[in-house]
Amino acid sequence: MNFRQFAFRNVLRNKRLYIAYFLSSMFTVMVFFTFAIFAFHPAFSEGSVNKYAIFGMAVAGGIIYIFSFFFILYSMSSFLQSRKKEFGLLITLGASDKQIRLMVFLENILIGFFATAGGILIGLVFAKSILLIAENILIIDESLDFYFPALAIVVTFVSFIFLFFCISVLVAFILRTNKLVDLIKGDKQSKGEPKASIVLSILAVFLLIAGYGTALYVKGASVVFVMIPVIIVVTLGTYILFTQLSVYCIRLMKKNKSIFWRKTNMLLFGDLSFRMKDNARTFFMVAIISTVAFSAIGSLYGFQSYLTKGIKEINPYTYTYSPFLDDSEEIIEQDIQQINSIIEEEKIDTEMEEAELVYFDTTAEESSVLIVKASDYNRFAALISEKELHPEENEAIVVEQSDAVITGGQKASDILMTSSVQLENGQEIQPSKTVESAVGLGITGYYVVNDSTYTELGTPGRTDFTAAWNVLDGNDNQLIEAGRKLEDQVEHKVFAVDYNLYEINKAYGPILFIGLFIGIVFFVSAGSFLYFRLFTDIDGEKRKFQSIAKIGLTQSELKKVVNRQVAILFFSPIVVALVHGAVALTALSRLFNYNLTVESALVLGSFAVIQVLYFLVVRFIYVKNVIRTVF
Amino acid sequence: MLKLTKVSKIYEGKVAYRALTDIDLEVEKGEFVAIMGPSGSGKTTLLNIISTNDAPTTGQVEIDGQQPHQLKKNALAKFRRNQLGFIFQDFNLLHTLTVQENIILPLTLDGVRASEMQNKAQQIAKSLGIGPIMNKRTYEISGGQAQRVAIARAMIHEPKMLLADEPTGNLDSKAAKDVMKMLVSINERNKTSLLMVTHDPQAASYSDRVVFIRDGKLHSEIHRGESRQAFFQKIIDMLSLMGGEGNEFSSIRV
Repeated sequence: MNFRQFAFRNVLRNKRLYIAYFLSSMFTVMVFFTFAIFAFHPAFSEGSVNKYAIFGMAVAGGIIYIFSFFFILYSMSSFLQSRKKEFGLLITLGASDKQIRLMVFLENILIGFFATAGGILIGLVFAKSILLIAENILIIDESLDFYFPALAIVVTFVSFIFLFFCISVLVAFILRTNKLVDLIKGDKQSKGEPKASIVLSILAVFLLIAGYGTALYVKGASVVFVMIPVIIVVTLGTYILFTQLSVYCIRLMKKNKSIFWRKTNMLLFGDLSFRMKDNARTFFMVAIISTVAFSAIGSLYGFQSYLTKGIKEINPYTYTYSPFLDDSEEIIEQDIQQINSIIEEEKIDTEMEEAELVYFDTTAEESSVLIVKASDYNRFAALISEKELHPEENEAIVVEQSDAVITGGQKASDILMTSSVQLENGQEIQPSKTVESAVGLGITGYYVVNDSTYTELGTPGRTDFTAAWNVLDGNDNQLIEAGRKLEDQVEHKVFAVDYNLYEINKAYGPILFIGLFIGIVFFVSAGSFLYFRLFTDIDGEKRKFQSIAKIGLTQSELKKVVNRQVAILFFSPIVVALVHGAVALTALSRLFNYNLTVESALVLGSFAVIQVLYFLVVRFIYVKNVIRTVF
Repeated sequence: MLKLTKVSKIYEGKVAYRALTDIDLEVEKGEFVAIMGPSGSGKTTLLNIISTNDAPTTGQVEIDGQQPHQLKKNALAKFRRNQLGFIFQDFNLLHTLTVQENIILPLTLDGVRASEMQNKAQQIAKSLGIGPIMNKRTYEISGGQAQRVAIARAMIHEPKMLLADEPTGNLDSKAAKDVMKMLVSINERNKTSLLMVTHDPQAASYSDRVVFIRDGKLHSEIHRGESRQAFFQKIIDMLSLMGGEGNEFSSIRV
């Protein structure tokens, strides 16, 4: 057996020890590879997708690669931590530092090679389903067929062999061989409880409150300016929260004997404070990575819903026609005929309403304001089954503008409510109330008056025309196709909602896909960090529980302790990340002045559910593992 | 107090191994019994069976009228916690806890009130002379202190029986002597039955009776007479009679 054989056999015959490190490396390779399959798809290189999407994918690939590097480095170093004793034994037998480094290097190369090959193989198996998902999210006209991703394989293989090589060199270099005694004693020595200072603990609370406060207080465009400082302050606050405040709280609890000495609490918290130095770093990392994932996915999803919902809200009708100001009646009539014929051509069944929109001068407003007859309003309302309005004589009702319209300053209703409608006889009608309605006849707010009052209004300022079609029967493809034709042939005058949404989703798809992809990668690797943290210490835990079991510890008591321990590990960083994410998304909704509650709840809720499932699975494995050795 | 009838242990496996054969043993209440024998004689197996960590293949174990091996797992854990106290060669203290916390651990698991635990811990610490180190961590104390802490932990719930596995194995001669004297005084004061497995004739000479086993069978037993010194000599003689090689046992240290 020469040295190389020794190193290889060390890995191959000790699979259980290496499996976690191997699997997480393989997972990373798989993620990168599936992304590469997608990015190098021939459909993209032929140039049907815009350049920004391809640029975005290159950036995303880079981010995943850099992240993989740090992830594997971290996995490696936590893996080496658990092998201190083995190194101690080797040094006792006379292995030199150089030989130990060589061994670690060889092991790494071996694991790296198989992880890369394995990741690529598994990636190939899932390639078709990834392409299918991509096709649906991306809304690509041509389908993404399965192809043999030779280029993706080469790129992945070369990049990861290079990455593993770098890490092997790096790890072998930084592997400090401490005093032999320390290595052999291994985990018996405490790294010591980290010191908790009251000042820093208070600072953590202060930083978090300041960060959250600013993020929640600021409105509109200034959100962008405070974003970077808030991120820095909150990140710092989170770090101190885990390294100081949590330690401080545990210490406080340990001092309270009636809590700390209650049943299994002592085992739980004694251990927690003992490990807090390692745990704090993991907690911080997991919290920040998860926050990034939550915020990225939440804001992309929120932004999409903002775009699409906004368009739907301003344009409640399937097709809307608004002519240019100087179009004559003949042109308008011609346009409407053309529109109707296109709609018929696509065999879509529609209802149509049209009305003259007349603007009048009012007391307050500088520009003229739209005033609509109740009968006109009700005809349009009937199209989309909105409630009818029946103002009394000498009554004016203000219709609020849509939330999706961003305007600086006051809302339209505020201005309209303070001014009044002037009649020909000099009488002034004060508006009575404001209603919210989807019947968007004007982009800003407008008045609705009784038909008879309408005839008494003064001289009109300018006259406009609008026509709206609402679909009764027709499928999406027909609607989109008709929309395309309408916007092509009656340029700038027709707005087709479905066609516009289709175009937006098509342009936005790649961004959403990449964002989702990166977000999920981050989230899953955060889970891996937790898994590593847990299983690095499992041997020590087993020994501890074995010695307590000798004194007498029931299985249910052991389960209770282990359950809580795993739960604290899994949920404390995630809860922090969820709060961070919620604040970030709230700030985002303030930026657009658009309510993102539903979207945020959906995104954060689904992540929380996934985390609970992950917790249940890991807990099951861990408890089974511990109980098997102890009892 | 403790009664073993025809206890045998066979380790199944690729090569079946008979560790104990038909052991009959009785320990009275308040008696201090040492078990001696050369390496591989089955001492530790015997102790593991008595301490309910291991089950006998055949035969019966009765502790204070109860048969612990008939109990369910959880009930067994509680039984161990309440009826038995353990002292180990490597102390088996938890390094995540302080000395005081280690001592009260069995009570904590039973859900005793904090103030009561505090009192008991103070009391026992005073009697064992470990009061000043109560708030230290386990890696900050010496081996002798650690073993005294382990004894305190074993005694805190006033068990009917104390089981010790090579309690002096990791200690220097001075600390070993202190620990043995402490065990004797506990045995006399509280009438706690004591069963100790040891290699060390010096430690064994503190007991009332030494039982020798060899190759898994009872070999013989000797009782203590008037002086400990004479008892020690008898133990040495018996060991050489058993044919163990002289260098297997530690030399005289007085």
